[in-house]
Amino acid sequence: MASEATTLRNIVAAFTDFLTVAIHTILYERAIYPQTSFLSARKYNFAVRQNRHPKVCGWINDAVSAVEMELLKGTVERVAIVIFTKDNKPAERFMLDVSRFPTATLADLDTPLERKSANGDNISILPKVDMEEQFRATLSRLANCGSTLRPLPEGSTFTVAIELKGVGQAPIAHPQPWMPVEPTKQDDIDGRVQKRAVPVRAVAAGEMMLECWIEEAAVSD
Amino acid sequence: MAQDYTEYLAINVLNEQQLVSYRSLSRALKVHSNLAKQMLYEFHRKQNAKKPGSVHATYLITGIRRAQSPAHTNGVHSQEDGDDTVMQSSPPLPSSFAPHHEEEAEEPVAVRSVLLVKEEHLEQAKATFDSVTGIHINSLQANGLSDVQSLTECNRKIVESYASEDPLQAWKQYGTIQNPNVKRRTQRKGPPPPARIAKDADAKMKPLAPTTKPTALEKQASKESKDSQESKPASKPSSAKATPEPSKKPAAVNRQGSDIFKSFAKGKTKPKKEDSQSSAEATAAATEPEDEAMGGFSEEEDDAEDGAADVDEVPKESEGKSKKEREADLQAMMDQEDEIMEDAAEAIPDKTAEEQDEGAIDKPDSQQAEEPAKDTVTMENGRRRGRRRVMKKKTVKDEDGYLVTKEEAAWESFSEDEPPPKKIEAAPAASTNKPAAGKKAAKAGQGNIMSFFSKK
Repeated sequence: MASEATTLRNIVAAFTDFLTVAIHTILYERAIYPQTSFLSARKYNFAVRQNRHPKVCGWINDAVSAVEMELLKGTVERVAIVIFTKDNKPAERFMLDVSRFPTATLADLDTPLERKSANGDNISILPKVDMEEQFRATLSRLANCGSTLRPLPEGSTFTVAIELKGVGQAPIAHPQPWMPVEPTKQDDIDGRVQKRAVPVRAVAAGEMMLECWIEEAAVSD
Repeated sequence: MAQDYTEYLAINVLNEQQLVSYRSLSRALKVHSNLAKQMLYEFHRKQNAKKPGSVHATYLITGIRRAQSPAHTNGVHSQEDGDDTVMQSSPPLPSSFAPHHEEEAEEPVAVRSVLLVKEEHLEQAKATFDSVTGIHINSLQANGLSDVQSLTECNRKIVESYASEDPLQAWKQYGTIQNPNVKRRTQRKGPPPPARIAKDADAKMKPLAPTTKPTALEKQASKESKDSQESKPASKPSSAKATPEPSKKPAAVNRQGSDIFKSFAKGKTKPKKEDSQSSAEATAAATEPEDEAMGGFSEEEDDAEDGAADVDEVPKESEGKSKKEREADLQAMMDQEDEIMEDAAEAIPDKTAEEQDEGAIDKPDSQQAEEPAKDTVTMENGRRRGRRRVMKKKTVKDEDGYLVTKEEAAWESFSEDEPPPKKIEAAPAASTNKPAAGKKAAKAGQGNIMSFFSKK
């Protein structure tokens, strides 16, 4: 646990923890898996849901580590948890904007970060209590989002996607954890297809700055 | 008041989309819980009249529950129904207080239950009750509650935000159930005795026994490091173990000063004065080792005090020096001491003056002139008097933080009837072995000065 020396790695680790919990929460809320397959757990002093199926947990952990790798490189702009309907159409996207994370070169991943205020005092890089509180609030909002969103059709599935910042940074090396995908064609041809964005929360605790919102594809049926 | 709650609920439930339980409402508006429940009900009713389904409620039903077969309770989404055999994929959750039913209902046992239900299941849940003794709204939220356990967040917030309120006073206001026999237990504080004293006592114990041995030096060094910041007050309790004397050291120094006056005239006043000047740290630090060094000679406490007075003057060992040479040597010696002395600046002029005084003293006392060289004793008159060179250990912290213990010859006056104690060889160089050897040699060699200490 980083005490005074918070490094980029610590920040990313804190975020990936949050991401894991968020994914589990979303799965529960949107009933991707039967709600009985979730057990209650506690994170950030808050009651959360966690899936019990080992393969689900394993998949989520793998996805989150792949995101972590990209985050350490500093190429990620947004992380999305996309819910697909049976016809492979994205119905919803839970977006997490991480473009404001600090970036560092490979050599600096473990360098302690420091930020000074105007009068030279050290500002905490990762204020733990503050951060936990905000994560708690975000999860609480996410947990209740199930009520505001339209119910999903049966057989929906999900995946984790990342949107990158620049062009030439796609992780297509071998082994390939990521599949390159074309930019979403939601709002191209039809024009009538609208997206609805529901803000969830923004977290700003030290250097941990992220925003969360839900994009819903208007179902035109 | 009536407006407050509507506004409060409108803000929190509708705008901020938070969960508001009757407890949070009562704490926030400082009203009784029952009143809060009524407020919730009113708000719920009004809002749903305006716009159905905008506000969703969870209810708390208390009553006697009908003994039921497991299948019936399946529909109720209250998560505490762990007694159901059907949906056992998730472990029973302790989120509410419903006791588990007996599975075999041969004899229907009346079970008093408290059930937390969402509003959509309200009627269903009521049906499972034989008789309902109480029903009230537990919480309100906008749009609906997906996860009942998120209600735990309300309680956590209450605990967090209102922890400062004393429950023994607040219970009347909020309507908390209170046991009239409850009394607050007062904390009896028994802080551990100051660790310093214990620590010092321990440290002192060690140097006491083998003070003359070289090992004493290391221990003193370690003790010094602890004590160097603590001046006399700390040394008082710690030294209490050694002898009763050192405990009165600060006063003792002055007392010895007056004794010094008696045995010697002006020359001694300066050292005493310096001592009192540099009372705070350096002297205490310096006198401590001296005390310890002298502690071994258990009878020599007084002279230990004397030695304390003389710490500032460290004449160099030399044989047959003329007065001027002695003075020069003294000057050099005293300059060495500057690192120890806090008020070295003022000490130096004192020392120089003292030197002259010394010279003045030494002059008339031709016999005393021998002293710097040899610490012989003068005026053997059954009562030896004179200045004696004593090995004093001084532990000094140099700039690197290392403790350097130096054995330095210090002059002190003594007066005793015994044959002189063993000689203490003067060796300005820091050495840990020399003192022991020196002392032994001194004892054998020169007069019996040191034995004088024994009698005092």
